[in-house]
Amino acid sequence: MDSHRIMIIDDEKIVGDMAKMALEKEGYAVETFTNAGPALDRLKMEKFDIVVTDFKMRGIDGMEVLRRVKGLYPETKVIMITAFANLDTAIEALRGDVFDFFPKPVKIKELKASIQRALSK
Amino acid sequence: MKIEHKLMLSYVVNIIFIMLIGIFSLDNMNVTLTKLKFVEIADDLNASFLEMRLAEKNFFLFKDTTSLDEIDKNIKSTLASIETVRDDIERAIGAENLTQLKTFIDRYSKAIEDAKGRKTRSAQSDLRLRLEGRNLRDFFKTITQLERKNVNDIILRSKKILLISFLVILLLSAVGGRLISRNIVNSMRTIEGLAISISKGDFTKIEDVTSRDECGSVLRAINVMSEELKNREEEIIQSKKLASLGILTAGVAHELRNPLNNISMVAQNFIEMHDSLSREQMIELMTRVEEETKRIEDTVKHLLDFAKPREVHLKEADINDTIQQSVKLIQNVLDISDIELSLSLDPSIPHVFIDEPQIQEVLVNLMENAVQAMTPGGTIFIASNASESKDTVAIEVKDTGSGIPPEVLPNIFDPFFTTKGVDGTGLGMSISYGIVKNHRGTIRVESAVDVGTTFTIELPAHK
Repeated sequence: MDSHRIMIIDDEKIVGDMAKMALEKEGYAVETFTNAGPALDRLKMEKFDIVVTDFKMRGIDGMEVLRRVKGLYPETKVIMITAFANLDTAIEALRGDVFDFFPKPVKIKELKASIQRALSK
Repeated sequence: MKIEHKLMLSYVVNIIFIMLIGIFSLDNMNVTLTKLKFVEIADDLNASFLEMRLAEKNFFLFKDTTSLDEIDKNIKSTLASIETVRDDIERAIGAENLTQLKTFIDRYSKAIEDAKGRKTRSAQSDLRLRLEGRNLRDFFKTITQLERKNVNDIILRSKKILLISFLVILLLSAVGGRLISRNIVNSMRTIEGLAISISKGDFTKIEDVTSRDECGSVLRAINVMSEELKNREEEIIQSKKLASLGILTAGVAHELRNPLNNISMVAQNFIEMHDSLSREQMIELMTRVEEETKRIEDTVKHLLDFAKPREVHLKEADINDTIQQSVKLIQNVLDISDIELSLSLDPSIPHVFIDEPQIQEVLVNLMENAVQAMTPGGTIFIASNASESKDTVAIEVKDTGSGIPPEVLPNIFDPFFTTKGVDGTGLGMSISYGIVKNHRGTIRVESAVDVGTTFTIELPAHK
């Protein structure tokens, strides 16, 4: 079977690089973007199973990415990463649409586990 | 000496002077009165002496011895009237003159007795009678004239002294008043200047307040106040910094969490996959850790610079770098408020000699104010350029916000002035003004309500 497609969007390049490194080892097909614009363009062309996005980015932010992804592919799971610990309440409100939420620093093992859960649903 | 005491002294001196003149005048008047009384008595006595001399002449002309009796009677009544006003006479002409007068009268009286006692007239006795009569008349005439002259002199002298006193009082009042008022006016000017400079946030003290008067006390009080204000301002600046720190904390947390997360993720992968990593991959990962550590180091350094107590460390700097650094500090606030930033930096402008963290503080403050004046979607324009002569460098911070009403525009650099109600300490602009001034630069503002505000900072170029 085709490996699951995962998109990572974070304006910190290392986040994408490290997630890609870890997730590719698990056999996923990973694409990384540091800007939401090109990422959304890519999504329009092809469906991804999981989109991991930073919450706070310059230009289009994580919330907007979530809306656009759900608009294109309602079944695609969106996992949110953020450096804002004090946005718990906002994230709580988003729980309905967001599959999971990780505050930075991200535990890669937990992220992997969360992705597995998302794919098995 | 205190002004109060100086004024009192000047009053007392004047009053004593006036009293002395009064006493002197009163005394003169008394003397004049005594003399005038004597002159009056002298007129009566003169009349008596004239009568005696007339009788004496009758005696010589008509050999009438009753004339001698008449003279005798006259002498007695004259002596009696002298006795009744003896005190007055003595006061006027002195005891010596009075005794002499009496002696003259006595001798005249004796000459009369002598003439009366003789059965026949002798030339010698006649001559004596005439001589004594004339002596008495001459003596009396002399002292009367002398007294008249005395009265005249006294009046003339009083007039002169009063005139001089009048001039002296006038001079004393004028000079004293001028000295005291000049003293007050000068001190008031100093105080006025001091108050104005304090209101502009310059808390320089007046050194060496030597004046011990009220103005000196006021100056010393203002010095104390100035010192107190300076301390307060420093306290408030410190708390304002803490408040700014609060605003920046979100940004700083973001700035720190991201590199920490990056390091953490690299480390997690390294631990997890070290078996399968090539030497090059390991080095690449560690290089990234090193880079991220540097990022944290930079952020912490900035934070410390911002929180550090105000000490001026001038360094040559490219103002464009300073602007970029300031933008980094405020970027998060801009993002949260959805404000765009448009930079137009002239890369060829001369360097400046500045305390970078302080100028950054000014720029951050201006940008914060701009953000607060705008609704989401607005744009802040920041431009740098040099003057034609390349002597100064100008930084323009322009917003398209609500603008500042013209009536409050002149006050915006005043300490404690705020347009933000309870949200502002009213110190941000004042601190900025102080910093720019310390750099021998200028800061000016143009604003139109609902159009926007432009702040222009001009700093001298480094030569």
